[in-house]
Amino acid sequence: MNSTIPKPRLKISWQSMFTLLMFGFMYLPILIMAIYSLNSSRFSTAWEGFSFRWYQRLFSDVRIFEALKDSLTVAFSAVGISAVLGTMMAVGLAKFRFPGKGLYKGVSYLPLIIPDIAIAVATLVFFSSLFGVLTPIVQSLNAFLAKMGLLSLPLPSLSLGTVILAHVVFCLAYIAVIVSTRLTSLDPHLEEAALDLGATPLQAFIKVLLPELIPAILSGCLLAFILSMDDLLISGFTAGNGVNTLPMLIYSRVKTGISPDINALSVVLILASALLALTSEYIRYKGEQRRLNR
Amino acid sequence: MSTSTPSSPTLAEPLPTAPRGWHKLTRLIEPIVLLVPSGVWLLLLLVAPTLLILELSFIPGFRLGQPTGGYGIGNYLEIFRPIYFQVIWRSVLFAVGCTVTCMLLGFPVAYWIAVMAPPRWRNLLLVAFVLPLWTSSLLRAYAWITILRPSGSLNSLLSALHLPNQEWLNQTPAVYIGMAYSFLPYMVLILYASLEKLDKRLLEAASDLGATPQQTFWKVTVPQTLPGIAAGGLLVFITSLGEFVVPELLGGASSMTVSRLIYNQFLGATRNWGLGSSFSILMITGVSIAIALLLKYGDRDSALT
Amino acid sequence: MSSNQQNRFDRKSAHLPLPRFSPTRRRFLKTSAAIASGLALSNCARNLSNANTGSSPTGSPTDSATSASGKLYIYTWANYTDDELIKGFQEKTGIQVVADPFASNEIMMAKMQAGGGSAYSIIYPSDYTVIEMRESGMLTPLDHSRLQGLDTLKPKWQNPVYDRGNAHSIPAVWGTTGLIYDPQKVGKEIDGWSYIWDNRKSLTRQVTLIEDVREVMGATLRTLGYSYNTTNPDQIKKAYSKLVQIKPTIASFLTTGWEDQLASGDITISMVYSQDAIALIKEKPNLKYIVPKTGSSVWTDTMVIPKSAPNPDAAYAWMNYLLQPDVAAGLVERLGTATANQAAFDLLSPETQKDDRLFPTEAMLSKCEGVAPVPARITEVYDQYWTRLTSS
Repeated sequence: MNSTIPKPRLKISWQSMFTLLMFGFMYLPILIMAIYSLNSSRFSTAWEGFSFRWYQRLFSDVRIFEALKDSLTVAFSAVGISAVLGTMMAVGLAKFRFPGKGLYKGVSYLPLIIPDIAIAVATLVFFSSLFGVLTPIVQSLNAFLAKMGLLSLPLPSLSLGTVILAHVVFCLAYIAVIVSTRLTSLDPHLEEAALDLGATPLQAFIKVLLPELIPAILSGCLLAFILSMDDLLISGFTAGNGVNTLPMLIYSRVKTGISPDINALSVVLILASALLALTSEYIRYKGEQRRLNR
Repeated sequence: MSTSTPSSPTLAEPLPTAPRGWHKLTRLIEPIVLLVPSGVWLLLLLVAPTLLILELSFIPGFRLGQPTGGYGIGNYLEIFRPIYFQVIWRSVLFAVGCTVTCMLLGFPVAYWIAVMAPPRWRNLLLVAFVLPLWTSSLLRAYAWITILRPSGSLNSLLSALHLPNQEWLNQTPAVYIGMAYSFLPYMVLILYASLEKLDKRLLEAASDLGATPQQTFWKVTVPQTLPGIAAGGLLVFITSLGEFVVPELLGGASSMTVSRLIYNQFLGATRNWGLGSSFSILMITGVSIAIALLLKYGDRDSALT
Repeated sequence: MSSNQQNRFDRKSAHLPLPRFSPTRRRFLKTSAAIASGLALSNCARNLSNANTGSSPTGSPTDSATSASGKLYIYTWANYTDDELIKGFQEKTGIQVVADPFASNEIMMAKMQAGGGSAYSIIYPSDYTVIEMRESGMLTPLDHSRLQGLDTLKPKWQNPVYDRGNAHSIPAVWGTTGLIYDPQKVGKEIDGWSYIWDNRKSLTRQVTLIEDVREVMGATLRTLGYSYNTTNPDQIKKAYSKLVQIKPTIASFLTTGWEDQLASGDITISMVYSQDAIALIKEKPNLKYIVPKTGSSVWTDTMVIPKSAPNPDAAYAWMNYLLQPDVAAGLVERLGTATANQAAFDLLSPETQKDDRLFPTEAMLSKCEGVAPVPARITEVYDQYWTRLTSS
């Protein structure tokens, strides 16, 4: 489709063989999980016969799916917010000089360094002190609103929302780091040229800079998503009542041994997301073809 | 909150050239719009908790629910026990080993996906590579136990191939395998973001001018992707320094790491939050210095300061 | 007591103008000092929203999350409730139950103390955590006139060491710590810890121990004839020196995840909780679980009502429901957990009753102790040795 790009060489290079090997490395544990999720025994010591028993148990377990729903809600919201904020932050940091910039940059790296447990505990303490201050304010506001005959505001408390707030912090950091990396090696004159040609800064940003940044933003989002889906401590400490993310459920179940239904869940999750990725890629490809044929 | 207010009038601007006043205004507003929302977010939910940790680190023996004494540097003096040095040294060793392994394994993969694979398949390949991480890290670590245990899948395979069996589980090699497994996708993602925009014409030009593949790699590819290599290395180093589930589950009886030590201080038997905080501050300071050095020397030629 | 707490809270909130960013660093530090000292003085469970409506145990009608009188939030181990139990309870009382799991006592404690658990009316701490919670004033003394069936508890749990007279807690699930091994692989019956010391040359990386300093050190202390809960540093030191002798035999410290390695024969002996052993033996009957003859620990996971409980009425209803012999017996059959309820025990099948892994004999139990908290100074000593053990 593009003449300047050499035709993809399909000859077998060592890189492709190596990549294949690495794919094998990545999927080996998943394969193991898949095999033993079909084993009738609870333990993965030996093959004791084919069985769908763990899948049956999985699909009849409402709690797992509730936890999955919470996890996905947190991950999608946090990554969505962070994608916007993180990109803006990276662009802002690359573009402008201002006093305290070094500090700002340093702080943005902080979530990668601070031990999870320390930040989790400290965030909870922060939240509970904040709520201690906010509650009387909201209460008096509600009293006022009630007089006016208006709806009352909910009192601040830990919830799914607080988990999202806390997750945004580290998602933001990872996305910003990756986008900055990309920005560093970007031609700074592109945007200037667009501006010289009369584009407004926003137009220049959306039409020129953003397309260049998309791959970095996407890989940042992917990374943030993975981290958010796997976080135990920060979720555990900032979650409200009735909120359970998947890792919270898994870690608490492990106390009485892992049963293969969780392995079955992993397999289902991977298959589902693979299917999702394939479908979206297929739709994108079809759309592209239609555009080219027009 | 205020992100949309300044931008919507700009969008609605029909003229190809905006009036001068606008430019001045946007020049003022732009940094605010770009930097303030995330700044506020980080300030509230990151800087405030971190300062709390900093403060706790100066209260010797701070424990929840127990009266505490005044401020002091007792926690920091506590750190200088020989036993802790050993723990710190092991953690750094694990992190460095993991970073190097991930770099060696990840670069060819990222390169192949970003440069050599058919463009249409690139996104899909990348997603496929990180897909295994969708599952819980704990479960993956348990799966590695199944693979690496002396009578496990790996040794069955090795026996079938008439190769000598390996006893890696509960020893250092298992830690490297498990950690490399956990962080390889991160490395590949970051390297990909950097390699994807590698100017392929430069590669062609180099080979047209008679450069060997090795020369092209070292003189063209690597310099162009240096920011990605630095970022990937840094990210993997830092996150692997914070990892403690894998070393503990796969590394056997002598696998205490700094992160585990911190975890134990917060949620273990002693629950000495003061000491845990001072270890956290030590870790933050140490890594910050490493980053600062890297930014100073690694970022020299870029416009960033 | 209650007004005292109210005062504490007031003092704290007076110090807390805003935990946000004040212009000067000094002020921030002062502010967070207030947070920290508030944290140290009071347990923050009650400093959240419901503190303003009074921390009396009659609940907080204004708290939107918990106002529905028909809702009971439980904070528990993942496998201690199941849908049948929750459904049965709802049918009987009309109260809807939400059970949140925690992964460890310490996580639960930290969350409660840092102010994140104000909605829970029932918590399932382990015995030693009950002591800690009681000592930090987090528990409501139980009103025994509102509980039916306490008298049917086994004698050992009528007056447990961790909570005299069950003043603050009710036993829910209990078990022991012991050793699991494959008699065929070992070639003989093991009766205690001495086997490991006697055969330490041939057992290189063949043993896994529970990842808990007090359990591991406690078991070693017992082999020396000392108490699990000793506060004598010399005895602890002796135990450590003895433990170091078998360091080469320790493959790993695992509380869970040893099952595969043991069942496949890659590990010879594992130190485990009885509940995990029972689950594995169900699948692999060739394995054997023993309580070491030198004695071991017996643990109890209990039900308590925190001071901050918004719905204590529902909490009492829950406790009463679980004290019913048929309900408790049903849980034993379904979840494989041991009950401390004699009346429930009597309802079990003779086969289950005779299972001495689930219900050890009195002779076995007489040598067992519960793990009790020790002073912070001693905890530190334990922790130092643990760090040394796991890092050298």
